[in-house]
Amino acid sequence: MSRDNSNLSVNEVKIIKTGCCHDCGGRCVLRTHVKNGKIIRIETDNGDEPQLRACARGRAYRQRIYSPERLKYPLRRVGERGEGKFERISWDEALEIVSSKLIEIKEKYGNSAILLVPGGGNQGMIHGIVPIVLMLHQIGGYTRMWGAPSYEGVIFASMATYGTMMTGNAREDLLNSKLIIMWGWNPANTIWDPETNLILAKAREKGIKIYAIDPIFTDSAAILADEWIPIRPGTDTALLIAISYEIITQNLQDQSFIETYTVGFEKYKDYVLGIEDNQPKTPEWAEEITSVPANMIRKLAQEYATSKPAALIAGWGPARTAFGEQYSRAANVLCAITGNIGINGGYASGFMRAYYSRERIVPGEKKKTDTSNKEQKPKKPRLKDNPIDFGAPPREDALYKLSGGTNPANTRIHYNDYYEAILQGKKGGYPADIKMAYIAGTNRLNQFSNVNKGVKAFKSLDFIIIHEQFMTPTAKFADVILPVNTFMERNDVAVPWLGSPYYIYLNKAIDSLYESKSDLEICRELLKRMGINSSLLDLPEDQILRLFIAPRKDIKSYNKMKRDGYYKIKVEEPFVAFKDQIADLENNPFPTLSGKIEIYCEHIAEKNNPLMPSFPQYFSHDEHYDSPKAKKYPLQLITPHNKRRTHSTLNMIPWLEEIEPHAVWINPVDAEPRKIKEEDLVDVYNDRGRIRIPAKVTGRVMPGVVVVYQGSWYNPNKEGVDLGGCANVLTNDVHSPGGAFPMNSNLVQVELYVKKQAEGF
Amino acid sequence: MSQMGFYFDQTRCTGCFACAVACKDWHDIPAGPINWLRIKEIEKGKYPKLFLTYLVQACNHCTDPPCIKACPVNAIIKRESDGVVIVNQEECIGKNECGFKCLKVCPWDAPQFGLEENAKMQKCDLCLERLEQGQQTICVEACPMYALDVGPINELREKYGNNIYAEGFNYSEKYKPSIVFKPRFYDKK
Repeated sequence: MSRDNSNLSVNEVKIIKTGCCHDCGGRCVLRTHVKNGKIIRIETDNGDEPQLRACARGRAYRQRIYSPERLKYPLRRVGERGEGKFERISWDEALEIVSSKLIEIKEKYGNSAILLVPGGGNQGMIHGIVPIVLMLHQIGGYTRMWGAPSYEGVIFASMATYGTMMTGNAREDLLNSKLIIMWGWNPANTIWDPETNLILAKAREKGIKIYAIDPIFTDSAAILADEWIPIRPGTDTALLIAISYEIITQNLQDQSFIETYTVGFEKYKDYVLGIEDNQPKTPEWAEEITSVPANMIRKLAQEYATSKPAALIAGWGPARTAFGEQYSRAANVLCAITGNIGINGGYASGFMRAYYSRERIVPGEKKKTDTSNKEQKPKKPRLKDNPIDFGAPPREDALYKLSGGTNPANTRIHYNDYYEAILQGKKGGYPADIKMAYIAGTNRLNQFSNVNKGVKAFKSLDFIIIHEQFMTPTAKFADVILPVNTFMERNDVAVPWLGSPYYIYLNKAIDSLYESKSDLEICRELLKRMGINSSLLDLPEDQILRLFIAPRKDIKSYNKMKRDGYYKIKVEEPFVAFKDQIADLENNPFPTLSGKIEIYCEHIAEKNNPLMPSFPQYFSHDEHYDSPKAKKYPLQLITPHNKRRTHSTLNMIPWLEEIEPHAVWINPVDAEPRKIKEEDLVDVYNDRGRIRIPAKVTGRVMPGVVVVYQGSWYNPNKEGVDLGGCANVLTNDVHSPGGAFPMNSNLVQVELYVKKQAEGF
Repeated sequence: MSQMGFYFDQTRCTGCFACAVACKDWHDIPAGPINWLRIKEIEKGKYPKLFLTYLVQACNHCTDPPCIKACPVNAIIKRESDGVVIVNQEECIGKNECGFKCLKVCPWDAPQFGLEENAKMQKCDLCLERLEQGQQTICVEACPMYALDVGPINELREKYGNNIYAEGFNYSEKYKPSIVFKPRFYDKK
């Protein structure tokens, strides 16, 4: 062994309990070993069951904290935007520039000229974007955007069908299922709460059959499932509808459940049977579209409808498509017509939150339960309200009559439209002329569609400020970079990602490295410089945290949570969504407008948009496998999450990098005619851009589909070819009528990169 | 002597690499060629009938380790008390001078070497420092799937059975690696 540990006694090493809190599908316990103010090792949870064991990303965190690439000082841009040339400045100077710019833009153009570009990359209850939002509210607000790339289509569908995001059952309830369908769902890589994979393994060990439906033979499909059913990307809705067809024509639906708990089944049935459009949505119809054999569709339908209780878990990936909400609604409807809702072992799909700890509760605010008293809203915005869009009428396309979704209905600019909003402003019909972007917790340029358009938009702005830890492709466009610390350098609380019953206390393990500061510290100082001397943010860190924790009645002891590093809540029985509704609908209606599960949604019907139908339908689109564009760009690109990054965070961590080198996955059937062999450098391109990365030739992706895992950092060469392999160079900056991001609906071509002679000289 | 060994549940391993990264963090090993714990990705079959499984391999702390015999300077020893095979780096003469003799005889590539000139051998020491403090190895405590276990091999066999075969693993009657499996095999059907 290269290192002598014999003199390392426990006395010298202090174990400080913290956790991992990036924008992944977990929130896990990390116990840091700190010696002389430095983290020397990391362990995970070894305490009470269920243990919140960290994945490789958390285990590698030491290399992120101490990365030589960490930003050490405030920086001011000296080169062109995107060039990455900066000079070191003092905090005093940096804060002066930022505060005076904020005031200048506000006074000259109004607060709407300030665009907040937030993200979940650097989180906590009181850090990350939280203090920035509160700060900007205090100075008069900012232009806000709506839409979450991970799940906007899913939220839309969850709200439309159930009126809520609380649609999941506790994970351990899967052990009560007779059949599990993992649809576009790869928890082996994306975690989906720390206990999920272990429970799936136990379910399979118990003899519960598990299907995986996915264009990729994922780790979940390979290890957790009994059978993999490959499906052409973006056609999931057709498969779901054909399963419905088979169930209805075989009379396998749960008619009494449908009659008692749902509205609109007949309308959907007419569509499925083809009464109106003369196209019965038969398994043969779906085979043509999805490439799933008709007999397999029949088998799936038969098994799902007759193996009650069965859990159809509709993952979010297939909803990151051109009509993502239709997939998600069709899945919800399938759960409903088989009566698999509100029962142990069943599953409602939807947004799939199963425990409320993630809901954002602001101190002093009561949870909204009644949607009818909208008029009673206070006239003046509170600290939690953004003055810019406060009181604005809701967006016409939003499901604004429902409450409980995270989607702000009074906000006008969709995230995938914001480059156009920046470039066109009011002249283009957008609500503001944006002059300044305030970016935090996000490598936004990299992580949203159409990077090359983003470059143009970012270059057109007057001023860009970013809170960052690394010189990301986005940070390269900033005028001032403020180095923020990580969650191991401050105190905070992590709420679970989707919703398992626990909290993690992130104890500060080490002092802030170099000159980095917390977001909270930065905002405090900026507020003072802007002449605002009284703010919630001025309170000590611990006091703000206690205030934020106070409304969470499930935390009985803040001190115990801090001491243990976690707070695991003992629930009497596993949560089952809609159990109360199913037991007594009269007294517990569904939080929809009809009080029932909405197969047909009147609120959507009012919008009278044929592409936003009142019940789920399958659509093709101009970037689908069967569109004219597919002649030029014959391969479907999907851009899922892999096992070694959290979005673009942790991209450059050597321990993680070696796990799975970045590559485009391509089936041998598509690689051979292109003369592409394993590890060959290839170009993946379309009209939006071109990336150049090695190929991984594998049967793990179906023919006609290529995979570029999202999150790799954009790194253009002189010709504008991205050598970093950022998937969003190729994705389209549009959104579905329900707000879904089409990150998995892109057509591309792939060709072998042949190095030109001239380049060698 | 109570020979220590590994248990690996191949049916549960999702190839998440939490164990491998935890191992590198605990033992402070940089990214690169030194992997005390290795994860083999085994892909078989042809689309759409595919098979994929993972095999986690550290050092099997053999009953009769070939590396010990191969080492020209007796730098590798097997501990009397628990059968853990360890290397004395002060004795090891280095990869260039020796020519990787230990690595060449190990069927599972347990001996590991850095890139530097004449790097000395290093490998899984079964987290002796942790075991001696009554803790589990770092890899066992890392696994979110509870697919790994370390303990006296007799106890592991009692608990998990005697299976010595797994996909991608070649058992050696001669060396008797201290490992038992719950395997997952490729079925051509």
